[in-house]
Amino acid sequence: MADLPSDLVAAGVAPAADEAAVARAGGWWQGRLGVAVPAAMVLFIFGLCFIWPIIGPVPPPTGGNILNSSLPAFSPGHFLGTDAVGNDEWSRLLYGGRASLEIALAVQAIGIVVGGLIGAIAAYLGGWRDATMMRVLDVFIAFPGLVLAVAIAQGLGPSELHTIWALSFFSVPASARISRAATLRVREETFMTAARLSGTSTPRMLFGHIAPNILPQLLTYALLGMGIIMILEGALSFVGLGVPPPAPSWGNMIAQGQSTLSATPRYVFLPSAALFITVVSFNLLGEGLRARWGSQ
Amino acid sequence: MSSGGPLLDVRHLVQEFEVRAQGGVRSGVVQAVSDVSFSLDKGETLGLVGETGSGKSTLARSILQAPRPKSGEVLFEGVDLVTLRGREMLRARRQMQMVFQDPFGSLDPKWSVTRIVEEPLIAFRTGARDERRRRVTEVLELVGLDPGRYADRRPRSLSGGQAQRVAIARALALDPALIIYDEAVSSLDVLIRAQVLNLLERLRSELSLTYLFIAHDLALVKQVSDRVAVMYLGKLVEIGPAESLYREPLHPYTVALLASIPNPDPTAPRAPAGQTIHGEPPSPIDPPSGCRFRTRCPRAQDVCAAEEPPLRKLANGHFAACHFPVSRDPLQAAGREPARLAGGHHDPATTN
Amino acid sequence: MSESLLDVSDLRVDFRHDRQVVRAVDGLTYSVRRGQTVAVIGESGSGKTVSSRAVMGLLPPTATVTGSIRFEDTEMVGLAEKAMRRHRGRGVAMVFQDPTRSLNPTMRVGAQIREAIQTHENTSRGGAQDRALELLELVRLPAARERLEQYPHQLSGGMRQRVMIAIALAASPKLLIADEATTALDVTTQAQIMELLRDLQQRLGMALIMISHDLGLAASFADEVVVMYAGRAVERAPTRKLFAHVRMPYTRALLDAIPRLENASHSQLAAIPGQPPNLALREPGCPFTPRCPNATDQCREHAPAFAEHEPDHEWACWHPCADEVPA
Repeated sequence: MADLPSDLVAAGVAPAADEAAVARAGGWWQGRLGVAVPAAMVLFIFGLCFIWPIIGPVPPPTGGNILNSSLPAFSPGHFLGTDAVGNDEWSRLLYGGRASLEIALAVQAIGIVVGGLIGAIAAYLGGWRDATMMRVLDVFIAFPGLVLAVAIAQGLGPSELHTIWALSFFSVPASARISRAATLRVREETFMTAARLSGTSTPRMLFGHIAPNILPQLLTYALLGMGIIMILEGALSFVGLGVPPPAPSWGNMIAQGQSTLSATPRYVFLPSAALFITVVSFNLLGEGLRARWGSQ
Repeated sequence: MSSGGPLLDVRHLVQEFEVRAQGGVRSGVVQAVSDVSFSLDKGETLGLVGETGSGKSTLARSILQAPRPKSGEVLFEGVDLVTLRGREMLRARRQMQMVFQDPFGSLDPKWSVTRIVEEPLIAFRTGARDERRRRVTEVLELVGLDPGRYADRRPRSLSGGQAQRVAIARALALDPALIIYDEAVSSLDVLIRAQVLNLLERLRSELSLTYLFIAHDLALVKQVSDRVAVMYLGKLVEIGPAESLYREPLHPYTVALLASIPNPDPTAPRAPAGQTIHGEPPSPIDPPSGCRFRTRCPRAQDVCAAEEPPLRKLANGHFAACHFPVSRDPLQAAGREPARLAGGHHDPATTN
Repeated sequence: MSESLLDVSDLRVDFRHDRQVVRAVDGLTYSVRRGQTVAVIGESGSGKTVSSRAVMGLLPPTATVTGSIRFEDTEMVGLAEKAMRRHRGRGVAMVFQDPTRSLNPTMRVGAQIREAIQTHENTSRGGAQDRALELLELVRLPAARERLEQYPHQLSGGMRQRVMIAIALAASPKLLIADEATTALDVTTQAQIMELLRDLQQRLGMALIMISHDLGLAASFADEVVVMYAGRAVERAPTRKLFAHVRMPYTRALLDAIPRLENASHSQLAAIPGQPPNLALREPGCPFTPRCPNATDQCREHAPAFAEHEPDHEWACWHPCADEVPA
């Protein structure tokens, strides 16, 4: 139930939903955190992984001196210690984050653009074109995400780029589904009929009317999916198909660290914690945006 | 009849929908518009009245070929729109525009007012950007919206009346000959509604527009129309001059509609109980045989079930589709008492 | 005064929104006697719906209600939810605008009526079923027995509204509030429903509050009319008196703006410019000032009090309209 009765809304007093109502719906926590806090966290994480290594005193993540191997935390010059071959852990954490984030961003971006386009065109055109496109995508959706990714990555060989391709096979159909559902809804709106009667061409309908109106949903979905992609990347790396060492990614760091879990738990703990915090931040941001935009 | 024939000539229009079974609703074909014919002269306002399920909105969209009717002809300036395709259809569309019921639903929430009004101009590639912008300004001023204040607003920061004015501006942008208003003022508040109606009148006379005005409120329709057509369950049951229809309604359904209008005069005699129409509207999937109104008509006889009454001329320019119309006398003198269904209520005719 | 069923006195309803306070109802006073029909007329943002929800205790927690609503000697403002629930349905019941949204689409009609009955009375399922049938026949729903087993989507708009009325009548309320109950219906169906309500009133001795924007409807069915604007009552009088001696320029404007069958085609309606005010910005003075043909500086600075200026005719205006000389 909207907070303000509809006749007040009709009188243009205030928008139909407010954050207080959202807070009550999702609990105190979501209302308070909203969008600002997770957005700040996401920005902070990005800043740390992408900008700080360039401007700050961060040693390179590879090419470490074997004489410095396995230093403990708070060692001079390496406050998180070093890994088995002497690379600085802090640096590996940051650069690993960069790799994981790059992959996730690229995959979701491809998903929105390619998947979004396919879904929107399918829904807008309808008929056999819709049915064909959707059946093709259904084939990909039918595979469990990880199995699909593993199969493709294995075929292509491990590298950051190939990981992106492999995971895109997962994100494109998923985005297409969302895009199609959203487009079907927008298509029924009166302003679409009005635009048609105004003589608007089909491309303009798609890019001028449909795209801006489905973008909020696609974006929200993409944000919520960031976490899944990062974990999938982690899983791929875990089985040796993701980013190949010595280049770090949170996934392959966890994979490598598991062999010495009891001796140096921090090799697993640090990237896991980083992954966890990042995924939670993206999820909260996605939820916050969905609450904010969904009630427009 | 103006020279060169009517602007719009609709002949035997039929529009159907398929309905899939869902819960208690059977599957079948609904003939939303069933063999409707009428014409509209240049500069005229034709009002179209009907209730839920009458098919009036479907008729409007069929005229605009959105979607194309199942059968029949729609002659616009002599050209049958049903036969047009592609570019020719686009060119014809330029001359006909529509304003919808929901002022906000018909505007893209992500677009600015300027962009919304400019859309038809861009689609038809009329002139360069400057010319288009000038036209947008011109048309916004025509509908009473100050371009300086409204040009960059989004629909959500507009009131209902303002949003509808934007929709009207958009309809005017290409300087069409015909504008169809599909319940365009029904969602507006009473006072705003009056403002917008006055605006429509002013535009009509200033720009020599032709209107098809669709509503479920007969008093509203009569206020703006030269002639009025009444629809029931997909059929055109009565059509005639507005004044004639009010003073001498021929079809029992029109009489019932008139009797149902709440009269803002507490001293007027109340209709005795039982004057209002009986029963529920029948299912459009399975309409009654013969005359579709017969199941609710106090005058129905056996022939009404057997034979569908054709639309016949019963008075000057006044047609009705009924075997037993309420008044059979043609050429009424002005000032006679309006017809009654069976003791219904009307205001005593004032001498005008 | 104990003749009154409902006494609303200086009712104010504020909504907290985004650190702003929106005063949706600003000092509303009126009464309803047993068996009487009162029409509360206003446009969007007038506060008519909010005030009726206040009577039913149906406002969201962001609303602050002050003033008094006395129903049969019980003060409703500040009443605990438990007591409010007993009062709803038995004392006051409500019928809403959109029967499609007020009825549960997944429950059969009979079940929904039974639910309403069993909330207020301790009867068996069979007893409740009989009563449900009785109620459907009372509201003149054709084929009542079959309808009990049907789902709402199988009924037309008018039939659904009859079901809503049946549910509202389940516990024999003394007061029925019809909140734009016929606005979404066809005009012929509206006439049927209004006739039904009038008939039920007479039979059950029930009072009725009609909330509407349609003065025409009020003219035909109400004993008394309260006109609201921007959260305030601006005019109140028995129906005939109000229409014969319209005082408030807003009421006059409403009347003049209604299309009449008697009007000539293409005639202009007497429309006033502007829009209802933004309720979040409360300016001193009369809220109708920007649009009022009679407005003066006095109107801008001091809000006129709502008072009885003529016998049984209250209004709030510095420059009321004079009686129109008959043509």
